[in-house]
Amino acid sequence: MGASGSGKTSMRSLIFSNNPASLTSRLGATIDVEQNHVRFLGDLILNLWDCGGQDAFMDSYLSTQRSTIFQHVGVLIYVFEVSTHDAVKDAAYYRDCLDALQRYSPEAAVFLLVHKMDLVAGDRAALLERRTRELQGESGTVPITVFGTSIHDETLYKAWSRIVHTIIPNAAVLSKHLTTFAQACSATEAILFERTTFLVIATSSPPDEAHPEQVNNDLSPTRYERTSELIKALKHSCARMREEFHALEMELPEFTAVLDGMTRNTYILLIVHDPTIETAALKINIRLARPKFEELQTDSVLA
Amino acid sequence: MALAAKSNGTQSLDDSIQRTKILLLGQQGSGKTSIQQFLFNDVPAKQTFFLEPTSRTTKHPYDTVIPLEIWDCPGNITLDSLGATLSEFSSIIFVIDIQDSYQQPIARMLDFFVAAYQENPAATLEVFVHKAESLAEDYKIENFRHIQQRVIDELFDTSQEYEQMPVNFHLTSVYDHSIREAFSRVLHKLIDSLPYLEDLLNVFCSNSQASKAFLFDVKSRLYVATDESPVDASTHSLCCDYVRTLNAFGPLYKSASVNQDSRLFYPSAAVTLAQGATLTYHLITPQLALLAMLHPGVFEERRGLLEYNVVFFREGVQEIAVVERDARAGNL
Repeated sequence: MGASGSGKTSMRSLIFSNNPASLTSRLGATIDVEQNHVRFLGDLILNLWDCGGQDAFMDSYLSTQRSTIFQHVGVLIYVFEVSTHDAVKDAAYYRDCLDALQRYSPEAAVFLLVHKMDLVAGDRAALLERRTRELQGESGTVPITVFGTSIHDETLYKAWSRIVHTIIPNAAVLSKHLTTFAQACSATEAILFERTTFLVIATSSPPDEAHPEQVNNDLSPTRYERTSELIKALKHSCARMREEFHALEMELPEFTAVLDGMTRNTYILLIVHDPTIETAALKINIRLARPKFEELQTDSVLA
Repeated sequence: MALAAKSNGTQSLDDSIQRTKILLLGQQGSGKTSIQQFLFNDVPAKQTFFLEPTSRTTKHPYDTVIPLEIWDCPGNITLDSLGATLSEFSSIIFVIDIQDSYQQPIARMLDFFVAAYQENPAATLEVFVHKAESLAEDYKIENFRHIQQRVIDELFDTSQEYEQMPVNFHLTSVYDHSIREAFSRVLHKLIDSLPYLEDLLNVFCSNSQASKAFLFDVKSRLYVATDESPVDASTHSLCCDYVRTLNAFGPLYKSASVNQDSRLFYPSAAVTLAQGATLTYHLITPQLALLAMLHPGVFEERRGLLEYNVVFFREGVQEIAVVERDARAGNL
């Protein structure tokens, strides 16, 4: 949800339909609610409600359709445009939505995206912090998570990776197995991506909530999102050649990496800093681990 | 001489060597600095919009297979204010905005080209019809032809002896890979050792069952040579994007705590595509990388042979590089 023109459909098209950012300008306004069933991780079906943001629609969501819209909501993603025209109206609608959500689906997680950050000149971090405080004030006691995002860089992947992370039932189990697997491969890190969206599902050594900067603090903090973005761009170039991206392996001076399909709908990226480890060995390990992860994933979706 | 070969590893921008000079000309705002920054400084296409107009001639040295020096000139430069004779330049590129009125730029371009042709008939004269992204597909081809015809007609009108003047036209844009392709083609004409590099690539292709091979400059992502099969735009752009991805990946997972001796290490990478074809990447010299599109199955089954071939290819290219450097340093 969010105000008209804030970028909800652009975002959806970028993440779930694999359209490049440059094409989003061609999208028209969303009329009423567009419902999408997105197959995520094969069997987990996300029911994505993209709600048109024009005032007339917003009014009807909050009055006549109130119970339909806000019933059984797992995650509310509310998009704010960073340089909004009418902050007061935005805030009013947001509060109203939040009230409705509290009444019909109090369990839902709330994510707020401060979108179109690429249009901000100057200090983005300070601005985001100010907006976060404002939004926290608006939300009262409801726990919220705020992200600054833009479709032109990796921040969008970061936000969505966190969002899907809350939806996947047993992400913790996956992380645990990934950590074991990473150790078996002498890998510094193992990262599991969803196949179509390339969002991060789970990582080995999940960052410690209390001290996120202490884990692997010498690796770039935005690496997961950048990887999603880079691989997606590469997949695009392959698609232009009517080829399909399958696997990637590299031996660079800094590290060795293998990216390969893990299960039917995930990719795994292994990062190894030990120069004596060969990519072929990593590939065999991945092949051998496939059945186990396939099983894990089926469990996780059925659970 | 042996010492010179050792120092290959560092990108030393040595002043003493003789650089091949490329002159970038064009009206103000036609996109000369954008092109230079986009290709050699990795400035994203969107950011080129914010570049300031160039107020005085700047020389940008760049080391690839041959040492280059690119002269970026302000829009109002004249033959007198250039501060060098045209005969010094191996290649002259004139940039025309596809949406501009062409009369004035073409007149200026011809002045420069005629003067250059008289002083140094061997110089290559190139026209970049730039900012192609601003027009629709049919329109831009039409405009491009129009400009091309106009230049040829005017040359003929000036004097019949200029009819044979070798002017090349390229339709370019920084928003796709056309500028890389065009600049690569300009570069090819300046590389004396190109036939040898191409021979090496041909031999490599036929012995490794590769359908296409490029020798890329890693930083600028221009290709300096390719095998004899025709270049198809989609393969070329995939290779460009692939090199870009690899360049970006390197620093991403770089670990400060792991230090290793990288002197004798040549990075390599491979992308497997759905039908089993593989796009491989092997660093050949610190600046150049070999990209090869292999037939399905070759990479899995005959990787040893492939790597053996790469080693030979690398030795060949490095030998050529040594000869090139010695010639430029005046040792031969």
